[in-house]
Amino acid sequence: MAAVLVHIDLDGARPHAASLIALAAGRAVASSWGATLYAAVVAHDPDRSHATGRPPDPVLKLPGDAKVVEAIRAALARGGADKIVVALTEAPILPLWSAVGAAWQAVLDQLRPRLVVFGAEAPSAAELGPRTAARIGARLFLRARARITGGEGIELRDRDGSYLRAQDSGAAVVLVGAAPRLAPHGDEDIDVLVIAVPGGGDPRVELAGTAPAETAHRLGPVIAIGDDAAADPEIAKATRRLARALGAQIVGGPRAAATGVVDSGAVVERHAPLAPELCVAVGAPALDLAGAASLVRVGGGGGSTKHVDCALSGPIATRLDELARALEDR
Amino acid sequence: MTEPAAAIAVWLGTAPPVRSIRWLDGALRAAAKLGRATAVAAGDQPWLDLAADRAARAGLASVGVPTDLQLDYLGWAQVMASVARKLAATTILVDEASRPERFAEVGALAELVDAAQLTHVVALAPDAGALHASRIAGAALQAVRIHGPAVIGVRIAGPRIEDYPTPTPSAAMRRFDLAALGLDPAVLSHRAQPPRAGHHARRTIDRVADHLAVHMAPRKDR
Repeated sequence: MAAVLVHIDLDGARPHAASLIALAAGRAVASSWGATLYAAVVAHDPDRSHATGRPPDPVLKLPGDAKVVEAIRAALARGGADKIVVALTEAPILPLWSAVGAAWQAVLDQLRPRLVVFGAEAPSAAELGPRTAARIGARLFLRARARITGGEGIELRDRDGSYLRAQDSGAAVVLVGAAPRLAPHGDEDIDVLVIAVPGGGDPRVELAGTAPAETAHRLGPVIAIGDDAAADPEIAKATRRLARALGAQIVGGPRAAATGVVDSGAVVERHAPLAPELCVAVGAPALDLAGAASLVRVGGGGGSTKHVDCALSGPIATRLDELARALEDR
Repeated sequence: MTEPAAAIAVWLGTAPPVRSIRWLDGALRAAAKLGRATAVAAGDQPWLDLAADRAARAGLASVGVPTDLQLDYLGWAQVMASVARKLAATTILVDEASRPERFAEVGALAELVDAAQLTHVVALAPDAGALHASRIAGAALQAVRIHGPAVIGVRIAGPRIEDYPTPTPSAAMRRFDLAALGLDPAVLSHRAQPPRAGHHARRTIDRVADHLAVHMAPRKDR
């Protein structure tokens, strides 16, 4: 039976919300294909005894607090997993291939999945997704939406228009950004397969420290607001509403910030270069947005839309409210 | 036959930047700071001319792979991996900001050349025999030291540029055809990308909301 494998990042003591979206997409696909849905977690094993050359303990226990382990198991069962795979590694868990790649490869080698799903916003997705795809020679979808197509059919459609359907041959790796909400499954006891992977992380990459990132460097979605738009209270209010719906940061120059609409710490210099995954430009922000992977323009005087993914004309506040409402309903 | 050693290569991709050459210039400048570097591009002639021109302005040698193939991330990674082997490059930078599809080639290249990988790097400097990189991970900036062969996806902006002169064909760019790289176009075509419909901006609320939905921050109550 084909295997659908979902990589699960943890957010403290629970599965990361983006990974649960991936799990929902995986569940829908696995049901449609008649496949088994595996949810896989890479976990740090502080007990290194299994990697010392002695034969592995046949009844390996999961590391960590038993209540935490049970909560994660129950969350993945409710999310629709048929089986859970835990890959144990000596390396500390970091969202880097160098840290978890070896353990993750062991999961891939064990299951040989037809489809591997990551949450597009999950911490490890950028590092693990493409290399996973290259390793298994798969098609790769970088930001897809799971969509029910009628009957029992399900389609994974990427933002560039490419798509994956049940009848497609070959393996695929999909970073999923949106999936239909599914009714919770039961949290009955499901199988947990533990793989103990000898060795730790790749010593060629060494994490020396972590600090908060500057706004100009962040990759998450941003709304860049122009000075004139920020000065209009209706637009400012609608911008905040869209930012809440999208989970986006509002950025702007010093003049826009003076109106109070720009988020704390998100004031950027005029013509500062930004390269987020998504930028919604409201009005005519005096920022360099050319590095955005996806650019959406709302208002802004009807300039060229040649290199813009979306453009909405008309009253800016109205358009922003309509967009926010459409997203809130999802 | 292996070319004389060139430790650093910078992969500029297979098509010009979507909106600005600022990020391409930034990748070239980052490579130049690390030592003797070679810029590599593949694709049609106008793009190769632009890549050669920007590389020359940054003081880098350049290599072009003329081809009209349209490949996916793994197909292009195979092309770049072959160029890297020919150049004996052990550190490969990838300009991952100029086009959104490029970042996937970081992991694919690393897999093919069996190197360490690091994506989303916003600053890079040599550091006593290693490289010191600053990498974006969500809302955090990770400081990372890299030892040995690595493929590094960079998103480093060059200086602001309003306009640039139309590049002319460069005699300085070395051309490698696919056969010289040991690649068979018929085999590569297994990684061909199907042609896409022309780009048209979405203009209705429903279509824009569909587009935004895949970028929404996941809700913890899900």
